[in-house]
Amino acid sequence: MSKFPLYNTTKSREMFDRATKVIPSGIYGHLGPAEGQWIPVNRWPSFSEKAQGSYFWDVDGNRYIDYMCAYGPNVLGYNDPDVDAAALKQLKLGNCTTAPAKVMVECAETLVDTVASADWAFFCKNGSDTTTLATMAARAHTHKKKIIFLKYYYHGDFPWAQKIDYPGITPEDVANNIICPWFDLDALQKAYDDNNGDIAGLIAQPYDHGNFKDNEVASKEYWQSVRKWCDDHGVVLIIDDVRAGFRLDLAGSDHYYGFKADLICFCKALANGYNMSALCGGEHMKATVSGITYTGSYWLSGVPFAACVACINKMKALDTPTMFRRLGTMVTEGFKKAGAEHGFDLKVSGEPALFYLRIANDDNLMLHQEWVAECVNRGLFITSHHNHFINASLTEDDIKLSIDIAEDAFAAVAKNHPELKG
Amino acid sequence: MTDARTLAYINMYAVLGTLENLCELDDKAKEIISTLENPVSLAFDVKDGPSATLTFSKNGCRMEDGVNSKCDIKIPVSSCDKFNKIIDGVVTPIPTKGLTKINFLLKTFTALTDRLTEVMRPSAEALKDPDFFRLNTLCTFYTVSVAISQIGNQDAIGKFSASNIVDGDIQIGIKDTVYATIRVKNNRLITIKQASPKPRAIMEFCDIPLANALFAGTVNSIDHVGNGNITIRGLISMVDNVNRILDRVALYLA
Repeated sequence: MSKFPLYNTTKSREMFDRATKVIPSGIYGHLGPAEGQWIPVNRWPSFSEKAQGSYFWDVDGNRYIDYMCAYGPNVLGYNDPDVDAAALKQLKLGNCTTAPAKVMVECAETLVDTVASADWAFFCKNGSDTTTLATMAARAHTHKKKIIFLKYYYHGDFPWAQKIDYPGITPEDVANNIICPWFDLDALQKAYDDNNGDIAGLIAQPYDHGNFKDNEVASKEYWQSVRKWCDDHGVVLIIDDVRAGFRLDLAGSDHYYGFKADLICFCKALANGYNMSALCGGEHMKATVSGITYTGSYWLSGVPFAACVACINKMKALDTPTMFRRLGTMVTEGFKKAGAEHGFDLKVSGEPALFYLRIANDDNLMLHQEWVAECVNRGLFITSHHNHFINASLTEDDIKLSIDIAEDAFAAVAKNHPELKG
Repeated sequence: MTDARTLAYINMYAVLGTLENLCELDDKAKEIISTLENPVSLAFDVKDGPSATLTFSKNGCRMEDGVNSKCDIKIPVSSCDKFNKIIDGVVTPIPTKGLTKINFLLKTFTALTDRLTEVMRPSAEALKDPDFFRLNTLCTFYTVSVAISQIGNQDAIGKFSASNIVDGDIQIGIKDTVYATIRVKNNRLITIKQASPKPRAIMEFCDIPLANALFAGTVNSIDHVGNGNITIRGLISMVDNVNRILDRVALYLA
C-alpha cells in the first residue's frame, strides 16, 4: 500500500487543453511537456495555482515539493518576504520609468562588490540577452568572428545559440560556431589553427551540466589551463553562469573554480524570480561593451533591481552556497539509499547544489522515467533529463519528506519490474 | 536546401523500397504480380549514388542492397540527377542487361510504380475510403522510416543530426499497427521495417489518422506530445534528433 497516494491531475489536463487552443503547444519551452519530459503527460501538473517556499500547488490542489525551482530562479524560496518587500517598495516608487530608477546603480555596485571578476554590470532580462551580448562583445573586442562552444552546450535559444538542424535556423545563423569537446585543450588549439586564429571567444558553462547525461564537474587545473590558453591566443573567455550562478559561489562560478572570466553571464538566481539578467566583466572589457548598441523596453526597470539587491544580500547572510552543498548532498544521499533498498542503482552527478540523477539499471532511462513519474505524481517534483536546484527555504523536514516519497516511488517501480530482483 | 544525391538514396531505398510493402498490403499490387510465373530481378546502379536490386515474384517483392550479379535486368544510370528524373517519370530508363525481359519493365514494373504513385500521392477523394486511407498511411510510414536513415547518412544537415545520436535502436510506430526501427551505430543509420527487440528510445503515434496528419504536415508533433497522442520514452535525445531529420523528410518528399 502506497504511503503517498497518486495525485489526480484532471484539472491540469483540462487547463492544458484550454491552453492549446490559444497558445502554441499549450506550454512552450522548458516548462512544457515536450522539453520538460512529462513522461507520461497525464502524471504531470500543467499549471500552478500558488507557490510558497519550496512548494507549489497545481490547479487540482496537489502540493509539490519542488526541486526544479522554476528551473533555477527560485533560489531563496517562493515569495521570500525580504525580496518581495524590497520589490514592492520599489514598485510604489516607480518601475519602468523614463529616467531609470537610482536602484539600478545600487544593484550594479552590489554585483561588483560580490562577483570577483566583475568591474561593471550590464542589465538585461533573460540569460539569452546576456550570452548574446557577451559574444557580440568578444567580436567587438577582438575584431574576430568565430566563437568556440563546448559540447552539450546550452546558451539560450537565440538563433546563433541553436543548432543547424533546428526549425527556423539557417546555416548562416550558426556558421561562426565551432564545437569542441569538454576537457580537451588540444581540440581548442586545433580549432584555433583550423580557423587561422579567427577566434573571438570561448563560451562555456562552468562545468558540463548538459541535459540527458551525467554531469561532469570541472577541476581548477582544467579552468586555469583554459584561462592561460585564452590569454595566449587573445580569445575572450565567457562564462555562462546563468544556470549555476550564485549556487556554487556568490563570487561567481569562475571564482569557485579558481580563475577569472573576461565576461560572466547571470540570470536565474539573481533576483529570486524577478525578471532580470546581468552581464558582468573585467575593466578591460568595459569600453567595448559601452560601444555596443543593445537595449530593451524593460531592461532598466527598477523593481527587479531592488529584488536583486535584497536577494544577493540575503544569500550572503545565509551563505547559501555552503547551505546548498550540504542540503544537496543530504537529499541525494537519501535518494541513493532509498533506491538501493529496492534494487536501484541511482547515479548522482554534478555539483550537489545542482544535482543530476539517473537510474543506471538499464541503458535507456526508461526505469528512471518511470521513477520520476511516480515521484511527481506523489508530490516530489523532479525531472528525468535536467539537473535539479536547491533553494534556501528547503528544510531538513522537507528533505525527509522528499526521501520518503522517493522511497515510495522506488517501491512502486520495483513492483512493476519483478525482473530486477533477479 | 536539398541535394540530388540524398534524393537519389531516398528514391531508391525509401520510395522504390516501399514496393516491398505495397505488394504485401495492397490487393491491386498483389493482382499485378500474380501474373508472374517466375521471379524477376531488377537492379538499378546509379553512378556515384545508390544501387539496389528488386526481386518480384507472385508472392511479393524484396529489395537488397547493391547490384545482384544474377539479376535479370540491369539499369545503369549515369548520375543521381538522372535517376531522380527516372523516378519522376521524365526520363525513360534504358537497361543494358535483360532486354528479353523488357516486357516486365514496360508492363509489370510500370504498373506497380503507377500504383505506388497512386497510393503515395492520393487525391483527397481517394483518401475518403478508409481502406485506402490506411494503405496510404502505412506505405507512407515505411517510406518515411527509410527516408530518415537516408537523410541521416547523406544530407549535410541530416548528418549533423545523426552525429548527435548515440548507438542503439529507436523504435517508431503507430500503436498496435506498424513499427520500424532506426538502428544507429557510429552515427550511421539503417531502417529495419519491424519493431526493435531492445529499443533505447520509443516514439509511438496513437492511431492511423494522427500518423497520416503528421506525414501530411497538417499537425505538429510537439503539440501531440503535449496532449499525449504521441508517446515518447527512453533516451529522448535520440527521438529529438530523429525528429530533426524527420523535419527534412518532408522537404525531400514534397
